[in-house]
Amino acid sequence: MEEKHDTRAFVRYYRKIYFLLLILLVVSVAGPFVEIVWVTLITAFGIALVKANLVVQNFMHLKWEQRLIRWMLMASVVLMALFVAGVAPDIMEHEGQLWVNQAAIAAVERGIDGEQAGGDGAGEAEADVEPAEPAEPTEFSVQAAFNVACALCHGQAGDGTGPAGAALDPPPADFTDPAFWEMRDEERIFTAIRDGAAAVGGSPLMVPWRNSYSDEQIRELAEHVIGFRPEG
Amino acid sequence: MSFPKPIATTRSATGIPTGRLAIWWVLASEVVIFGGLLGSYVMHRLGHPEWADAAVHTNTWIGAFNTFVLLTSSLTAVLAHEAAHDGDGKQAAKYLMMTIGGALTFLLVKSVEWGIEISHGYTITANGFWAFYYTAAGLHAAHVIAGAVIMAFIARDAWRGRELQRVELIGIYWHFVDVVWIFLFPLLYIAK
Repeated sequence: MEEKHDTRAFVRYYRKIYFLLLILLVVSVAGPFVEIVWVTLITAFGIALVKANLVVQNFMHLKWEQRLIRWMLMASVVLMALFVAGVAPDIMEHEGQLWVNQAAIAAVERGIDGEQAGGDGAGEAEADVEPAEPAEPTEFSVQAAFNVACALCHGQAGDGTGPAGAALDPPPADFTDPAFWEMRDEERIFTAIRDGAAAVGGSPLMVPWRNSYSDEQIRELAEHVIGFRPEG
Repeated sequence: MSFPKPIATTRSATGIPTGRLAIWWVLASEVVIFGGLLGSYVMHRLGHPEWADAAVHTNTWIGAFNTFVLLTSSLTAVLAHEAAHDGDGKQAAKYLMMTIGGALTFLLVKSVEWGIEISHGYTITANGFWAFYYTAAGLHAAHVIAGAVIMAFIARDAWRGRELQRVELIGIYWHFVDVVWIFLFPLLYIAK
C-alpha cells in the first residue's frame, strides 16, 4: 500500500481516530439533554455521519483505496436513495389524490398508549385486543369509498371512463348505459363488489373488496352504483 | 492446503487484491440491504408521530455502552491489521481475539437488553416501532455473530502465520458492522 510503512506512526494515528470517535459519542449522547430539537438532530445524525466517515476513511482505508471502490459504494448509495425517494410519498403521506391509507390513519389516531399502558407485562394482552377495531376512527363516506375503490376504473361519473380503466380488456362497465342494467339488480352489484366481478361471471380484472369494506359499507356502495342507473 | 489456489485468488485485473475487491462488493450490497431497511424505518417514523411514545422506552445508556464496545473493537481490528501488515501473525491473532471479545460483550449486553424489553411486553409484534427495532438490531446482531465466527477461523490461521491478508479483509467487514451501528444508535436510541 505505502512505500515505507511506519507501523508506530499508524498505531498512533488509529488511536487518535479512536479517541476522536469516543468524544463524538459523548457529544451525541449529551445532545438531547440540551432539549432543543435541532441541536439533538445535529448531535445525533450529523455526528453519526461524521463518525461513519471517520471509520470508513481511516479504519477501512477508503482514503488510501483505489477510486473504483468509491464508485462501487457510491452506486449502492445512489440506488438506495432512489428507492427511498421513490416510495417516500406513499409511506410518509397517508392520503393521496385517489387513495387513502386507512390503516395508517387509524394507527396514528389510536396512538401507542392504548397498546402498552404501564409496560408492566399487561401491555401484551392489550396489544392483541386493540388493533381489532381499526375501521372506526376514520368515518366511512360512501362517496370517498367510491372514489378510492371504483372511480379509478369506472370514472367519477360512473360512465366507465376512469383513468386506470382505459387500458383494461374487457373495458370497465358503464353504469349510465341502460343496456348494462337489463341483466342486473342490487344483489348482483353487491356480490360483484364484495367477491369480485368474476363471482358473477364478469371480468376477473375487477377484484373483490370484502377485505377493505364491511358488508354494510359494500351495501352502501352498491346503492351508490344503482344511483347511476338512467331512469326508465 | 495441499491443492493449488484457484486462479481468481491471485489474479487482479483492477490492481486491488481479489479478496479485498470481493469484500467491498459484499459491503456494497450490504449498503443496499441496511440502507433499505433503515430508510424504510425513517419514512415510517416520520409518517407515524405516535411511534415517539414507543421510542422513549429504549435505553440510551445501554445503546451508548454498546456503541463504545463496537468502536473499541474496531480499534483492535485495525491494530490486528497493522500487526498482520508487519508479518506478526501472533500479535494479529491476539488483537482479533480482543475484537471477538468485543463482539461477545456486545451480544451479551444486547440479549440482556432484549430480555428486559420483552418481559415488559415490548415484543416484535407490539407495534410498528418495535417491529423495526427488533428487525434492524436483529439483522445487525446476525452480522456481529457471523463476523465473530469468521474472525475466530482467521485468528487461528494468523496465529500459525498463514493467510495474513485475511486479517485486513475481516477488519474491513467488521468496521462496516460498526458503521451500521453508528447509524442505528441515533435512530433507535437517541431520536425520542
